[in-house]
Amino acid sequence: MLSVFKSIPTHMDYKGQKLAEQIFQGVILVSAVIGFIYGFTIQQFGWTVYIMLAGFMISCLLTLPPWPVYRKNPLNWQPALPETSGENRDKPQENQKKKKHK
Amino acid sequence: MNTVLSRANSLFAFSLSVMAALTFGCFITTAFKDRSVPVDIHVSKVMIKNVDDFTGPRERSDLGFVTFDISANLQPIFDWNVKELFLYLTAEYSTKSNALNQVVLWDRIILRGDNTKLNLKDVKSKYFFFDDGNGLRANKNITLTLSWNVVPNAGILPLVMGSGHKSLAFPESYETAKSY
Repeated sequence: MLSVFKSIPTHMDYKGQKLAEQIFQGVILVSAVIGFIYGFTIQQFGWTVYIMLAGFMISCLLTLPPWPVYRKNPLNWQPALPETSGENRDKPQENQKKKKHK
Repeated sequence: MNTVLSRANSLFAFSLSVMAALTFGCFITTAFKDRSVPVDIHVSKVMIKNVDDFTGPRERSDLGFVTFDISANLQPIFDWNVKELFLYLTAEYSTKSNALNQVVLWDRIILRGDNTKLNLKDVKSKYFFFDDGNGLRANKNITLTLSWNVVPNAGILPLVMGSGHKSLAFPESYETAKSY
């Protein structure tokens, strides 16, 4: 039973995190602009706040759960190397360099 | 951004910043607006009594009674940054002891959505018009002014004086107080 839950991927990769941030900022900003214009035309600031909150809820739905969209660029890990006594010191540094790609 | 909680945190923080910007926008769109409207005040009855003022000096003080009409259209004041208006009617006059006396005679709160056409007939003052001495009798220049506080959603709390004053004179003689 536990293994079923553990097999569900819950992480976001780096590009996914960037995409999630851009999506929520875009959604909130657009809803804020729409709300400001609508509230200004009907002269009700409450509607501005409601529209803004609607944008907040939408962006929560879009970016809080780790949807599969945010897992399209998985990290290319180096294949596990067979443990050899001589090369152990050099390999970890190479690994670190390769991890740094966003 | 790698966990649900950190995403929720940055989403919430960003939303709050945007909300603050919107509120500031609401303030700045209305900050330079003139919130004064013409007010028509008419006084129908003036009376004066000389009674014991138990709160002030231990002497008999002047107590004025003013009945008035007010009509004004407050609709232009309301916009998306006004929650309510606090209207108050003041009487301003000068006496020998004080160069400027201000007494609030009447007030009213007008909420957003209430009837903004003010049309009052024969209203008695809500609060006692006491002078702290005998400065009301035969005072020829007592100015009634309607002013208001604008209570906004965001920003400053302006104090606006309505354009339209009414000057009135109090009679020379006291009304004899038979019962009060």
